[in-house]
Amino acid sequence: MAKMTLEQLRELRDSKKMEMTQRDGEEKAARIVIGMGTCGIAAGAKEAFDAFLDELNSHAVKDTRITQTGCMGLCFSEPTVEVIVPGMPRVIYGNVDGKVARRIVREHIIEKSLVSDHIFDKPAADIIK
Amino acid sequence: MHASLCDLITDLVQNSFEADATEITLNIEETEKNLNVIIADNGKGMSAETLEKAKDPFYSDGLKHQHRKVGLGLPFLFQTAETTGGTARIESEENVGTTISLNLDPSNVDLPMFGNFATAAVTLMTYGFNGNLAIKHSVNGKSYEVSKNELAEALGDLNDLESLTLLKQFIASQEEELGTL
Repeated sequence: MAKMTLEQLRELRDSKKMEMTQRDGEEKAARIVIGMGTCGIAAGAKEAFDAFLDELNSHAVKDTRITQTGCMGLCFSEPTVEVIVPGMPRVIYGNVDGKVARRIVREHIIEKSLVSDHIFDKPAADIIK
Repeated sequence: MHASLCDLITDLVQNSFEADATEITLNIEETEKNLNVIIADNGKGMSAETLEKAKDPFYSDGLKHQHRKVGLGLPFLFQTAETTGGTARIESEENVGTTISLNLDPSNVDLPMFGNFATAAVTLMTYGFNGNLAIKHSVNGKSYEVSKNELAEALGDLNDLESLTLLKQFIASQEEELGTL
């Protein structure tokens, strides 16, 4: 890959935006929040981040946002990831390595079925207000 | 200790986000003999007393997590330097900012691997903080610089999948030019 300039980046983005405006009225397919505190980083949250990006792109799942947050208070089950899909319960998944991240994209986001063996239903008590 | 230097750097830059810094610079300079990392912010800083306490892994200000008794970010920094024959320094002043300098010997056998900086840079740029982050990475004289403000200007919402994908390609192309990928 040749070194990309900011100008090229802007042009690429503009061409993608044209594609996006053609799909109007659709809700965001999913929001993914990755726990990226000291604990998440140490447990491999960046591998999960890369796997989400790669799997979402390979299945052409478009309207998705990936954000990050600090420690969710579940350090024992890092990397933790919250997944919000319209019409489905908000779920916090634990022990999300690259493989589990790919399963979440295929099973939760695309097939609308929960990845039950990695679910944590709520954060630890010390962060619930 | 973090498994990679990129993990350590990510953790330390996040401290600047949490210190409400509006301007953060991350400067990484690699040569065959030296690996230099400088993280500087204009965030809320720490008093000399707090800074001393923050070096203790069993200290936390308790603001983020009420009952938590550990804070490992800075202890990981000093541990990495101490166990690999490097040096780490923090200078901080309340309401002015904090600067961390880490100087490491790339040939030390105990040094953790560097890690994937493209992913580290993408996660830092898209962490969702209000200020600006400017990254400069140089390897044996070759370098590139990029800032969050100019990326947001080119891409718009940095957190949607299209932006993240383009951003990663962009950073990867810069890293490839440095010969790190």
